[in-house]
Amino acid sequence: MSVAQPAKPLSAKPLPAKRRMTRKQHRLILIAAAGAVLFFAAGLVLFAMRDSIVFFYGPTEIVQKGVAPGTRMRLGGLVETGSVQRGPDQRVSFGVTDGTSSVTVSYKGLLPDLFREGQGVVTEGVFEGAGRFRADSVLAKHDENYMPREVADALKKQGHWEPGGAYAPPAAKP
Amino acid sequence: MIAEIGHYALALALGVSVIQALVPFWGVVRQDRALASVGSSAALTSFGLVALSFLALVASYVRSDFSVANVVANSHSTQPLIFKFTSVWGNHEGSMLLWVLILTLFGALVALSRNSLPPRLRAGALAVQGLVAVAFLAFVLFTSNPFQRLSPAPAEGQDLNPILQDLGLAIHPPLLYIGYVGFSITYAFAVAALIDGRIDAMWARAVRPWTLLAWIFLTLGIAMGSYWAYYELGWGGWWFWDPVENASFMPWLAGTALIHSTVVMEKRDSLKVWTILLAILTFSLSLLGTFIVRSGVLTSVHSFASDPARGVFILLILVFFVGGSLTLFAWRAPLLRQGGLFAPISRESALVVNNVFLATACATVFVGTLYPLVLELLTGAKISVGAPFYNATFVPVMVPLLLILPIGQSLAWKRGDLLGAAQRNAAAFGLALLAALALIAFTQGGPVLAPLGIGLGLFLVLSAVFDLGERIVTRASGWRAVLSRAKGLPRSAWGTAFAHAGVGLSIIGIAAAAWSSEAIAVLKPGERLTSGRYTVVLESVTPRTGPNFRAEVARFQLFFGGRELESIEASKRIYTARGMPTTEAGIRTHGLSQAYVSLGEAQDGGVAVRLYDKPLILLIWIGALVMALGGGLSLTDRRFRLAAPRRAAPVAAQAQPAE
Amino acid sequence: MMLWAILAAMTGAAIFALLWPLSHGRTEGFADVADARSLYRSQLKEIDRDLARNLIGVGEAEAARAEAARRLLRAANDEERPAGETEPSLRRRRASSALMLSVVPLFALLVYGLYGSPDLPDQPLAARLEKAGPHQDFAIILARMEAHLAANPADARGWSLLAPIYLRQGRFDEAAKAFAAAVRYGKPDTDLLAGLGEARILEAGGVVTADARDALAEAVKLDPKNARARYYLAIAKEQDGDGEAAVASLQQLLADAPPEADWTASVRARIEQIQGDAGRKAVAALPEAERQQAIRGMVDGLAARLAEGGGTLPEWTRLIRARSVLGDKPAALAAVKTARERLAQDAAALAAIDALANELALKETAP
Repeated sequence: MSVAQPAKPLSAKPLPAKRRMTRKQHRLILIAAAGAVLFFAAGLVLFAMRDSIVFFYGPTEIVQKGVAPGTRMRLGGLVETGSVQRGPDQRVSFGVTDGTSSVTVSYKGLLPDLFREGQGVVTEGVFEGAGRFRADSVLAKHDENYMPREVADALKKQGHWEPGGAYAPPAAKP
Repeated sequence: MIAEIGHYALALALGVSVIQALVPFWGVVRQDRALASVGSSAALTSFGLVALSFLALVASYVRSDFSVANVVANSHSTQPLIFKFTSVWGNHEGSMLLWVLILTLFGALVALSRNSLPPRLRAGALAVQGLVAVAFLAFVLFTSNPFQRLSPAPAEGQDLNPILQDLGLAIHPPLLYIGYVGFSITYAFAVAALIDGRIDAMWARAVRPWTLLAWIFLTLGIAMGSYWAYYELGWGGWWFWDPVENASFMPWLAGTALIHSTVVMEKRDSLKVWTILLAILTFSLSLLGTFIVRSGVLTSVHSFASDPARGVFILLILVFFVGGSLTLFAWRAPLLRQGGLFAPISRESALVVNNVFLATACATVFVGTLYPLVLELLTGAKISVGAPFYNATFVPVMVPLLLILPIGQSLAWKRGDLLGAAQRNAAAFGLALLAALALIAFTQGGPVLAPLGIGLGLFLVLSAVFDLGERIVTRASGWRAVLSRAKGLPRSAWGTAFAHAGVGLSIIGIAAAAWSSEAIAVLKPGERLTSGRYTVVLESVTPRTGPNFRAEVARFQLFFGGRELESIEASKRIYTARGMPTTEAGIRTHGLSQAYVSLGEAQDGGVAVRLYDKPLILLIWIGALVMALGGGLSLTDRRFRLAAPRRAAPVAAQAQPAE
Repeated sequence: MMLWAILAAMTGAAIFALLWPLSHGRTEGFADVADARSLYRSQLKEIDRDLARNLIGVGEAEAARAEAARRLLRAANDEERPAGETEPSLRRRRASSALMLSVVPLFALLVYGLYGSPDLPDQPLAARLEKAGPHQDFAIILARMEAHLAANPADARGWSLLAPIYLRQGRFDEAAKAFAAAVRYGKPDTDLLAGLGEARILEAGGVVTADARDALAEAVKLDPKNARARYYLAIAKEQDGDGEAAVASLQQLLADAPPEADWTASVRARIEQIQGDAGRKAVAALPEAERQQAIRGMVDGLAARLAEGGGTLPEWTRLIRARSVLGDKPAALAAVKTARERLAQDAAALAAIDALANELALKETAP
């Protein structure tokens, strides 16, 4: 594999043919190696796309699209008012609604700080069929004005959302 | 009046930046040195003006001047002074002003590094920087003006989002921005060199310190952000593959590649096309990150109120700078001359391999971050790409890179001896493998990949240490000889070893997460909860009042294997102005591990408590610090001073004020 | 005027800084050869250093030296054309000076003119607080008090001043906390305790909670004549369903009232209201089964009215209580649920409903 040439004097003579060859070869090797790595990565990405990507649905979409039980997904909507029920062992269940349909979510663990009835929520877990959903994570929202974008979109579709929750400064100039 | 002076200074800076973009460029084209030197004075002036503007905003915040809309929306008169101060960049407008401040700061630093840069390159780079500054000053002034006034002034402000009221916030964005924006310099150098047509080893040498500087701060910024999320969000996670985190991680990966490729370019004058492209891409990724975070296309902690006009504006900036520079690149890059030679087995080739892997890893993150956006745009389907995706793509690309890293590190320049390099690392590899196997045996039935991960981290650390040792220690020499050899070793060699060891340390910390454990229970005073090696006993829950919040503070006794450690406090705060709760986790560091307690809501006469055992978790951030230290050591290498012999201060020394 | 002078000075300074290098800069071309040479020298040194540490082979080091030398030659050959003649250079300088003198002020004034508010003075908090006088903004006094208490949370007097203000403003939650702080840090005071009781009652939407009752009892213990505490304790009796005892207490209160008291009228009105609840009286006289029937009828009437829409917090509270007292848990739960929906906009009311549901142990069992 030794391609480097022994020392050449300073004078810039035209390069010998053999060296030009090796330069080309060298470049080919590099390109082949880079290609192999990229190919490998592309394969990984495609593979991962199939297996580890989670779709986001709103309650109505689940009904409309006939999501199969056992599907892993994210579910977003508003926490149904008066639906939160706490059981022993940190078990909790609540309804997630977009105003049209509703899905009952069961979850075991601590709810995020800003989990409140009537507020937006995103949960990730497995759809069990028949309007039931087992969540393994309930995502925190970080701001009282913050509405997960997916939830906002889902609600907009159902006509339940007016923007303008965020602070809008009054007339800026006197 | 202060606010108005700040506002005017910003408008004036826009005018000065226009001059900075035009006149030096003209000077470079016309070979007129006087015109070119306008670049330096314009860069310094515009930095001065933006700094004045920033100070004016700080003053408005500190004095709770509620006639400024931005102050009303993001601060409260009862905030402690430090948070009034950090509120300045805890919101969209203020943080964009900070962005511009750092941009112009870098311009000023380039202007000041008078003697270590070829004057043509400096003038050209300052012109490009001026153009970037024009774009972002216009963005701030037209769409995100922090100096909008209100009349009459409201009596009280709306307070800063409580989870941002934290010292972590004081440090994280400035560090991150110095990193992000620092790459604008390498971008400016690349574009200037493309226009000028002179791209050679000297270019690489001129650019390298700036790349290192930006990279160091980006490393620190990412680490700080990760630690902040870890203790502030209250559920013990430290990296979420959140698009916003990815937005800072992609420039980091590209920047890491750039640091390595400039070495080859500097030494061999080859890899020029790739290095220039990488310099352009790194800053493009920074811009993309700014777009993702600021436009509101993705929501996360970082997206403050978003406004479509802003998104469109940043998108235009993005398209102009990325598209423009890539077009220029496509036009000029084929004209570049071939550089020096190196064998397929050599340090240079190893660095190329490093670049291939890092660029690929960056591409996987890029796909994972943007794929959901593109898919939604095309089909309307909403998906989320989370940790499983990255575990299946990013990790398999990085592992081979890290495995061959020590070998590349001990290859010779131009032509290396693969067998020799492998032999030199055999001891480190053997020890690491042994440790991994011992761990597997010891934790029978536990995770299998984690011990291998620890082995990999150990391999990196040991090989870095052995590599240093080999160069310093020789047989039959006293400690004096060792010391003098250590002194003689170039700083960049120390830097390399530290940075690589830092990567190893972080990997050990990440792998050890497999042994972390979590327990949740509702506790009443006197009750206990055990997770992993730690046990807590709830002592009391007491209310407490802070300056702008009320808190319920739970005190716990903490036990480690029957031995009592210092007690630990966790609390839940309600910030009165916004009525918003936050969780303040209680964290007790114990060696390199941490016990982490956070509170849930009160129920059934008790309080929900989450306890984590996080073994070796500190190594993740210590590793990042060691990496940054390595970068710092490289930055002080004599090489960067030699470029300008017997002239004034070196680049590195002048870069110091940035810290 | 002052502001414009400063802005003009800033503009002048900025333009001066830009013009400076044009008058002092060198006109000759760029000479990067020196840099190329120094780079070459340092690269040679580096190659030697690498060679000494076995980081590069002997032959490769030679080749590297040759490459570096070639680069130096190339850099020297690339040397630029001679510097531009004086005449165009001078013209260029004039043109760029003109550009600076026009562009900078133009941009600055245009942008500032569009977005600036030069007539608006600064209004820092400190200045607004100091602007004393009879027309002082009430909110600012409040802000000042809050700031003071934030710094000195143990100032009982401050809390005792602030608490009634909160109460009057309808910020019951904060009023209760302020009263509690005043009680905690100060001497026992019957008025503060009564205030605390009142705030807690109002916070709970008019329901005399156990907490409120404790505070009221404490107040009466300190001063058996405390009218406010006695009044609310009487209301508590009424809410317990003992209307007669409530009336008796209120009448006692009236009897003890000092002649100048201005609250007697409202107490009398309350007595009449309780007594005037003729239905209640009649119902009380009925035999047990019929009485239950009649109460149920009244409650159902209330429920029906509320079901049609609206309903205030006290009405809902009454309904939920009644349902619960009558042992009809599902109906009580349903009432809680509907009340929550109706009052969804009112966070305080929601909290009151939740508190009530807790108090009555109205928890839905897990399905």
